[in-house]
Amino acid sequence: MVADIGSPEAHDGSGTFGSVMAHDTAGAVARPAAATTSSSVALLDHPVLVARDVSVGFGAKTVLAGVDLEFTPGTITALIGPTGCGKSTFLRSLNRMNDKVRGYWRTGAIEFDGEEISSHQMDPLVLRRRVGMVFQRPNPFPMSIGDNVVAGVKAHRLSPRRELPAVAERFLREVGLWSAVSDRLSDSPFRLSGGQQQLLCLARALAVEPDVLLLDEPTSSLDPVTTDMVEDLLRQLAPGLTMVIVTHNLAQAKRLAGTTAFLYNGRLVETGETERMFEAPNEPETVSYVSGRIG
Amino acid sequence: MPAGVTPQATSERRPADRQAARRAAGASLGRRRLTNRLAWIAGALCLALVAIPVLSVIWGVVGRAVGNWHWNVLTTDTAGNGGGLLNGIEGTLVVMFGVAVITGVIGIAGGLYLGEYLPADRGQILRGASEVLSGVPSIVLGYVGYVVLVVQFHWGYSLAAALIVLSILVVPYVTKTTEVAIRGVPTAYREGAEALGMRSGYTLRKLVLRPALPGIATGLIVALAIAVGETAPLLFTAGFSNKAPTGQLTHSPIGYLTYLVYTYFNVPAASAHALAADAALVLLVIVLLLIVIARVLVSMTQRYSPDRRQRVGRAPT
Repeated sequence: MVADIGSPEAHDGSGTFGSVMAHDTAGAVARPAAATTSSSVALLDHPVLVARDVSVGFGAKTVLAGVDLEFTPGTITALIGPTGCGKSTFLRSLNRMNDKVRGYWRTGAIEFDGEEISSHQMDPLVLRRRVGMVFQRPNPFPMSIGDNVVAGVKAHRLSPRRELPAVAERFLREVGLWSAVSDRLSDSPFRLSGGQQQLLCLARALAVEPDVLLLDEPTSSLDPVTTDMVEDLLRQLAPGLTMVIVTHNLAQAKRLAGTTAFLYNGRLVETGETERMFEAPNEPETVSYVSGRIG
Repeated sequence: MPAGVTPQATSERRPADRQAARRAAGASLGRRRLTNRLAWIAGALCLALVAIPVLSVIWGVVGRAVGNWHWNVLTTDTAGNGGGLLNGIEGTLVVMFGVAVITGVIGIAGGLYLGEYLPADRGQILRGASEVLSGVPSIVLGYVGYVVLVVQFHWGYSLAAALIVLSILVVPYVTKTTEVAIRGVPTAYREGAEALGMRSGYTLRKLVLRPALPGIATGLIVALAIAVGETAPLLFTAGFSNKAPTGQLTHSPIGYLTYLVYTYFNVPAASAHALAADAALVLLVIVLLLIVIARVLVSMTQRYSPDRRQRVGRAPT
């Protein structure tokens, strides 16, 4: 279990810095182990989410063309690439969050659980429950902390009303926020620190028990300590949850992801095991990007 | 880039230049302080310009009414040059309630459509029409209501005619304030809800309308305050009655407080003047109550607004 984030002030204590280092080492040790687990899962399962020859764009503009990607259950995939390369647009296509954007179009196939996500059989509401999303900036709802966690559970009527407090507690514990908020569940979430708000949003996304979680630069507005905690948490979730993370932080991609996909100039340049992508990329653009020459 | 503006060049300027620069900075600090003070004074003056008329109106109305106030004006009907205000109060409340229902439904639905479903760059005709409507003088609307509803439709002076004309008068306010309030709700709420797979109706109720409620309520309250304070359109459509509202929508004139203020003030009799002052006081109390009720309702629903981060009664941390 991830250590709790206390009040924002607690980060200043020297004890916290000690625990940060502990996190780092733990992460470093845990990484090869996690990679083994995910690859063994990969042998057993078909990809949960598949993109085949996907092109997306707005109006006359093509943002991304001909992307082929597969997301294996229990893995973390990082989408990297410079600003404007279409990472977020692609990510948001995976749970049809772009549908309402004017001029948006997509060609090719995106299949979730073997079914085209835009088909008539696919209920977009069910799709979004099973393919959750966490945003760049924490976006708690204007309701109490407890209600925030169970907002999706309530909307989908996943649990009887009397069990909601238990559900809230379970997922607040899971993200390591419980001890910080257990005595103020009826407070406004906007009184929490930014990092705590993001953990709350993560708890809210996890509470509807999705199969896939899409993360759009989830730590870019957080401080290093909280970022570290979120990464730890994602690593722990990995065996049971497929994650796709958009990040500008190459070190984060290295730390977290088993697979990395590099998007550049409107296409998928290269994808593969993260280690190989950073150590021995095949394409000259990838070499330039991971070495910091472009981006 | 010319060499004169690079940072190195600035730091290498001659001492005399640097002194001049410091003097200039000093002068500009003084000027900024002066500007700041002037702006504060201007702000205070503007506040006074708004507050003084409000206080003087309250003072004038209360002063005139309290001297010969009798509680029985609240329980008796108007009779001759005096009597009570019961018929007027009842009529005003009925009109207010009717307008609240009609504009609440039409105005909020219209604002919702403009703010939530129509892109910001569309619906210009609708917005333009709404703005023109809000600019039409109330007496013109009253006259049109008289010609069409009272005469043409043979409704006579009636509650229905009064409600329709007053509602047309204030619907644009409600629509506009609703639209603005809904556009002010952060997109992040809608996105978060969409990403959780919430139904759009659920999202609308829990995450759009609720945060927009203070704006919507304020618009509706202003609209109601305008409606109960109107005289001209009511003179044309409601007529006046010395009796309590009959409950009929047509063919039955209805009493209201502004008529008593307007008409009885022009009647050369002390009792009539006293009644006019009483009516003005009651009207003022109704409007103030509306505002207070709206504020209380709003503060009850906005416990979790991002604007209210501090717990009440606690110092900011």
